[in-house]
Amino acid sequence: MNIRTARKIGFFSTMFTVMKKELLDFSRDRKTLALTLLMGPLIYPIIMLGMGKLTEMRMRTQLEKPLEIAIVGKERAPNLVGFLASQGITAMKAPPKDVEAAIRAQDADVALVIDKDFGKDWAAGTPARVSVVTDSTRRNADIPVGRVTAALETYGQAVGGMRLVARGINPGVTRAIGVDRKDLATPEAKRGVLLSVIMPLILLILAFIGGAHLSMDTTAGERERQSLEPLLATPAPRSGLVSGKMLAAACVGVTSLVLTLLAFKLSANLAGGGMARMMDVSFLAMGKMLLVLLPLVIIGTALLTFISANAKSMKEAQAHMTWLLFVPMLPAYALMAYPLKDTQLWQYAVPFLSQNQLLGKISRGESPSAEQWAVYLAASLALAAVLWLAAVWRYKQEKLAISG
Amino acid sequence: MIVAENLRKTFPGKGKKAQPVVAVDNVSFTAHDGQITGLLGPNGAGKTTTLRMLYTLMQPETGQVEVDGFDATTQADAVRRVLGVLPDARGVYKRLTARENIAYFGKLQGLSDAEIAERTRLLAAALQMEDFLDRQTEGFSQGQRTKTAIARALVHDPRNVILDEPTNGLDVMTTRGLREFLKQLRAEGRCVIFSSHIMQEVAALCDRIVIIAQGRVMAEGTPDELRAKAGTENLEDAFVQLIGTEEGLHA
Repeated sequence: MNIRTARKIGFFSTMFTVMKKELLDFSRDRKTLALTLLMGPLIYPIIMLGMGKLTEMRMRTQLEKPLEIAIVGKERAPNLVGFLASQGITAMKAPPKDVEAAIRAQDADVALVIDKDFGKDWAAGTPARVSVVTDSTRRNADIPVGRVTAALETYGQAVGGMRLVARGINPGVTRAIGVDRKDLATPEAKRGVLLSVIMPLILLILAFIGGAHLSMDTTAGERERQSLEPLLATPAPRSGLVSGKMLAAACVGVTSLVLTLLAFKLSANLAGGGMARMMDVSFLAMGKMLLVLLPLVIIGTALLTFISANAKSMKEAQAHMTWLLFVPMLPAYALMAYPLKDTQLWQYAVPFLSQNQLLGKISRGESPSAEQWAVYLAASLALAAVLWLAAVWRYKQEKLAISG
Repeated sequence: MIVAENLRKTFPGKGKKAQPVVAVDNVSFTAHDGQITGLLGPNGAGKTTTLRMLYTLMQPETGQVEVDGFDATTQADAVRRVLGVLPDARGVYKRLTARENIAYFGKLQGLSDAEIAERTRLLAAALQMEDFLDRQTEGFSQGQRTKTAIARALVHDPRNVILDEPTNGLDVMTTRGLREFLKQLRAEGRCVIFSSHIMQEVAALCDRIVIIAQGRVMAEGTPDELRAKAGTENLEDAFVQLIGTEEGLHA
């Protein structure tokens, strides 16, 4: 015996030994592996293509289909009804008795009520009243209501113009300003707006807790399975042990991110031209996004490792997932309620907000300035380092080793 | 050689205003090379806590531990390198094979691949684990798991071996095999400490016995010395008299 003299094992060799073992262990757990790695990449195209499809369907059916609406008192304004019909808006043969009730019950999207005195007012040249009955909180009524109001306006202007002409006045004089609105957004681009809100969110969540299973399993799970105590009784430095575990979780997180970004690129190409115009999906942009997300992966794994090391059981560690899932979403929701210009530097030092702004910038094809990059990387790497130190410190505590 | 001096450890009590629980109180003993030292005591006597202080997982509040001249508090790394430990918690990684489990710990002890292969061969032969060495440990029997855990604890050929209740949950044949293995370790000149709550087992194996109850050392010595101290012919009676209870006599 004692042929081998005891030797020191360094930080890095410990870290790589532990990382290799954890990845080997994880790779043999096929189901968890598949779920972890493929969930993000699969969900993304489904959202992108599925949501696009839905928007498209709605546009097509509601914009182009002849619209049949309830018109109360159509006999009072035959010309108007005829004009509407020429615009593809026809009157129902048998309109419901109580149109307001019908709209409340969502049987109809929009209804027109032509005033009793319509004929009299019309003849007198005073405004003849027509009411558009609708429920503005119902989003699927937006398009029909828009079509009906637009048609009414056109009709009103046309008739008004003719009246002026009949009196020898140029109708142009009533229009002091000619306002024309041009909405250049194509339906694809509009879909892109929605996705540009969702995409950073999905990437943030994925980066933050993508490796969660592994971080929890290798600390809280390992303690529960009673293999942590023998591990901590070895001379391997604790900092190396915990770093190896975190590195393994980070590897898994990054792999799943890369797969998601690739799936994102693929589905953007599949979804057609508007999307690619709206969002930058070049490999350079993907690389930049990955650089933005990398510090977040480290922050996530370090935080989770620290939490798991503090938890008494795997169950307790998993209970933290609820709020952890919400944290990355907070800035996105805050930005929806209170949009911030992404120019001030302080924003790039705030975790989650900074990633949100940077990802948004990059996906719009803009380039963050060197200053913004510097502030972001310094702040996020500093936070990652602090959390890493906390996890290492926790691993050096006596309490961690003792299970049950 | 392992020397424990005046070890004391208390844990905070549960609940408000609870008194701290004294788990180990003023425990001292010496375990020599080439001997098997048995820590005997009923459940909850403080054996596991004492051992945890020996293998540096816990800091004693007072007193000190010396292993081969290294201090367990100030030179914990050096102590861990000369110690092989089978803790109370002996979970093995169930998706790794027994061989991979052993190799992982070998790597963490800083051994080369060749050394790990050689040690694994020797330990597998000594512990009779060749036929399940390359199987994933999921579904292993208690005995197979314990053998894997012992092999991985001894992969770095340590001079000192600490085993916490090694025969717990093992059948008769496996226990016999394990006893032979411990004797072999002793014959190789190692310092072996193991804890047990089973008197017969300690009597059958140990050169020195440390009897612990309620966190204190009740008696220490060779089986003969203990019999003389208690004034009884029979070790079992001596044990009962020394710890003042019959608990732990029957496995």
